Amino acid sequence: MKGRSLRRTLVYAALIASAVIMLGPFFWTLSTSLKPTSDVFSSPPKWIPNPFTLQGYRDVLALPFPRYLLNSIVVSFSVVTLNVVFATAAAYAFAKLRFPGRNALFFILLLTLMVPFQVNLIPLYRIMVDLHNISPLIGANTYFGLIAPSAVQVFGIFLMRQFIASIPDAILESARLDGASEFRILRSIIFPLAAPAIATLAIFTFVTAWNDFLWPLIVTNTDSMRTLPVGLALLSRKNTVNWTATMAGAVITVIPMLAVFAVLQRRFIEGLTAGAVKGAS
Amino acid sequence: MARVGLHPHTRRALTGYALIAPAMLVTTAFLLVPMALSAYWSLTTYNGITAPTWVGLHNYVALFQDPRFLRSLSNTVAFVILGMTIGPALGLCAALLLNERIHGRAFFRTAIFLPVTTSLVVVATVWKMLLNDQGIVNAVLSFFGLSGHAWLADPSTALYAVILVSVWQGLGFEAVVFLAALQSIPHDLYDAARVDGANSWRRFRHVTLPGLRPTLLFVFVIGIIGSFQVFDQMFVMTQGGPVGSTETIVYYLIDRFQALELGRASAVAYILLAILATLSAIQFRLFEERS
Repeated sequence: MKGRSLRRTLVYAALIASAVIMLGPFFWTLSTSLKPTSDVFSSPPKWIPNPFTLQGYRDVLALPFPRYLLNSIVVSFSVVTLNVVFATAAAYAFAKLRFPGRNALFFILLLTLMVPFQVNLIPLYRIMVDLHNISPLIGANTYFGLIAPSAVQVFGIFLMRQFIASIPDAILESARLDGASEFRILRSIIFPLAAPAIATLAIFTFVTAWNDFLWPLIVTNTDSMRTLPVGLALLSRKNTVNWTATMAGAVITVIPMLAVFAVLQRRFIEGLTAGAVKGAS
Repeated sequence: MARVGLHPHTRRALTGYALIAPAMLVTTAFLLVPMALSAYWSLTTYNGITAPTWVGLHNYVALFQDPRFLRSLSNTVAFVILGMTIGPALGLCAALLLNERIHGRAFFRTAIFLPVTTSLVVVATVWKMLLNDQGIVNAVLSFFGLSGHAWLADPSTALYAVILVSVWQGLGFEAVVFLAALQSIPHDLYDAARVDGANSWRRFRHVTLPGLRPTLLFVFVIGIIGSFQVFDQMFVMTQGGPVGSTETIVYYLIDRFQALELGRASAVAYILLAILATLSAIQFRLFEERS
């Protein structure tokens, strides 16, 4: 019995130490965002802001942070919606409809999963610049430019296809006998039945889009189009960093994601580790 | 409802094409066409303004003679090797801890997973402050009687600091994936091993590890592919410095892109693609043979 209680003590000690290391930086971020700039690196460190001030938030709101927030919301929600609709539609066709070239086309899509984004980054940017010359509404430094390249993520099609393949053909056949069109089947049968997989896909896409950095950094060049991560990165690269404002910016960037995480915790973890269980089995 | 003139099979096939059309269009326009373009550009000298001039394999040859590129390659390899040993090892430890019979498992799991939901830019920004000369990391170290250090300003420690931050961010992913795999190993196997008199190390070695093998493959493939593309942390924390000590392949690629050497940058991209394709092939071969 003595060995067992020692073991339990060690397990809890290790877990508590891990929790402190993982949560500490979040606490310190929040704490710093509420300090006056003179207290950021005070010695000894001040864990609780004293005096307490919202100056960091005022500084960062005077920058176009509200605009970055708006851009991040517009881009993320568009990307999630487009991916859910397009990936489910394509996945249904790949899983349940027969047409010449189906397997070859799916194989090409699978191969693209191996290609790192950096391979198409530069030509993609050039294409966006050209599109922008055709019309100022599309191409580089527009919502179109931020959203379109992420509108369909092949991983999503792959994930949805696996799920839709498990829906029995008998359900679809009886709907067809009742005279339902394939679009009708997609809307009234596949979408409701695939809801759990769609939730996974939506969360996965939301996290990726919200946190995306390299493409928004490259394709935007004015404050009015930047997203939160880009705005924050540029703030933290200044020669003299205003740490309280930067930490306030970090809090603003993280809060929406943490709110979604808090509400949908289990689904969230499933969504981010999607493919792990399936890919491994 | 019958639509005149089309056999149901034909109609269904046409619907199939219609349903995959948006996906294929986006993939072609924003992925396949750019891929082909950068393959061509990698064989040219191109500044994005005047027409590209054909130079054959010159960009590739020049890259492998460029000490700066070779340094970025070795920095990236060090990042991948260290990150993908320390990360999964600590992730497995965390998963084993979470798999114990404990109170508050949900809380500890959430705490460890939290950084995974946070963008790399935020994580890098926060740690840039924590690792500052006068930052909290040094304050905590001095509390324990250890001397502080300018972690990100010293070329001999900057890369390691960035690796540790990356491990911190990704650990929760590995822990949660390993925890799910641990919980799917049947209890009978452990009971049988116990009956055979296996001690806890042998049970770990002969029951747990084999049970985790497919998950390990998944974690390594995802992790290595992701780590080779590391960029965000360096962009925020060190800007590739000090003196190039944290410049990675992608950092170098973006640098050449901004210097309008699009041919050279495209060649870097294709070298990255070749590395990733080779590694994936090797990994799948290795794991197929063993399992």
